[in-house]
Amino acid sequence: MSELWQKRLLTGLGVAVMLLFCLLPFGYMVLTSFAQQPDYLGQASFQFTLENYRAILTAESLHFLEYLRNSLIVSGVSATLAVLVASLAAYAMTRLPLPGKGLILFGVLAVSMFPPVSIVSYLFQVMNTFGLINTWPALIFPYIAWVLPLSLWILVSYFAQIPRDLDRAALIDGCSRWQILTRVVLPVAAPGIFSTLLLAFIFAFNEFMFALMLTTDYQARTIPVGIALFQGLHGQIPWGRIMAASVFTSLPVIALTLMFQRRIIQGLTRGAVKG
Amino acid sequence: MKLTHDKRAAALFILPLLLTVGVFILVPVLGTVANSFLRDVTFLPERYIGLANYRALLNDGAFWQSLRFTCLFTLVSVPLELIFGMIFALILNQALPGRGVLRVAVLIPWAIPAAISGRAFELIYNYSYGLANYLLQNLGLADEPVNWLGTGWGAFFSLVVADGWKTTPFIAIILLAGLSAIPEELHQQARVDRAHFLQRFWRITLPLLKPVLVVALLFRTVQALRIFDVIFVLTGGGPGGATNALSLYGYQYFVSGDFGYGSAISVVLFALALVFALLYVRASRFQEEMR
Repeated sequence: MSELWQKRLLTGLGVAVMLLFCLLPFGYMVLTSFAQQPDYLGQASFQFTLENYRAILTAESLHFLEYLRNSLIVSGVSATLAVLVASLAAYAMTRLPLPGKGLILFGVLAVSMFPPVSIVSYLFQVMNTFGLINTWPALIFPYIAWVLPLSLWILVSYFAQIPRDLDRAALIDGCSRWQILTRVVLPVAAPGIFSTLLLAFIFAFNEFMFALMLTTDYQARTIPVGIALFQGLHGQIPWGRIMAASVFTSLPVIALTLMFQRRIIQGLTRGAVKG
Repeated sequence: MKLTHDKRAAALFILPLLLTVGVFILVPVLGTVANSFLRDVTFLPERYIGLANYRALLNDGAFWQSLRFTCLFTLVSVPLELIFGMIFALILNQALPGRGVLRVAVLIPWAIPAAISGRAFELIYNYSYGLANYLLQNLGLADEPVNWLGTGWGAFFSLVVADGWKTTPFIAIILLAGLSAIPEELHQQARVDRAHFLQRFWRITLPLLKPVLVVALLFRTVQALRIFDVIFVLTGGGPGGATNALSLYGYQYFVSGDFGYGSAISVVLFALALVFALLYVRASRFQEEMR
């Protein structure tokens, strides 16, 4: 067999395995979310129903929509604030005379690798003292810090690419540093900032341990924790509903990923593994 | 004049970053270290007890089991993820029809929260009607259903797969960036010299990709050491503590109200992760300078 055919065969096989590996679990999630009984691969046969979706969207006792609301607010606010803070810092790092740039940049990178468990108990005690347990701020503040390193790394790499002549021209025109940032750099960097925002949002949306420890019920609990702790009344796990909730939650994130695939990949590789 | 003004602007612009990271990450870490020297149990007065928590760890069988599992999990899952991530990246780097669709498919596991995919895998590993046993039995690979989550080795394997589902695609995306940075002329030259594609991979691609691979390896090592979400959902540390990772073990003490002992466990994990985190920072720094 010629080398070309060997390669084609290997690639075809690889594509099939890769697609199966990546999509099968999600497909199974979707299928189960439409099943009346989750044991359709066992004794029973598959029966289509929309009941699981109706239940999670209407049954108030499940609090699904409240978990989702909490997740969207907490992740949205913290991602926005983190990107704001990171933009300021990235501007200073790429444009201004700042001693110890490398130390800050790589220090922040090291900090992002800390295990959440070495932070969460102390955060719990502090939030408890201020009566913030089970509120949005209890999650928003730690999340800002949590997604900052990633945001900083991506933005520094974007800002470094914007020509400095733009700044100089604006300086000569008498703009202040703040004006240069808001009127010159930010508009030019808008696509980069948008990708960063998207990634920061997804990272905050996926966070688990802080949300588990710092919230107690539907008033502030986020959707990953809500789904993780989703239990049935009589020891029977309500798989259909869990999977419906999982699919419903994953769809917006997947849609965002589909729409902004290029930007996400670019952002991930710019922050080069710096999550 | 202008320069001092700029210096002040720089300080102002960097301040929010330093404050946020300092207050919400560095202070809590130091607080945890301080707590680990205390007897800090709910309903009892706080008391300084020096290294007593750490001494207790030395004689705690469950702690050693947890440490052993954490290290073993990292040693098994990270190399596997890198190998498969490499294969995925090589495929994605081919000029294939529908390449964009493939890349999106790879991003789906990455985008779904680990706690949610953890629940999907819980169902996949269900003994009587899960997908895993259904496939095994219908493909004739097993006569009896496998008790995935009820046995130590089954649970270990299940966790490696569930964690790999989310992280392998991520590694593939990172390595893909490294692959596309390799000049095409190098491969063309090798083709002229009639080098087989496997030879080209070993002699050209792998050496050139080494810096990216090292960074990905260290990054994943730290992440695997601190694994929590998937285990919390999938096995809860069971059966019988067989998959009780250090993060989970520390968390269990926090939940039961023993902040001192839980902090000591967290500090051990922190120290372990820090070694690799610093190596990772060094490797990234090296890579940055190479650019």
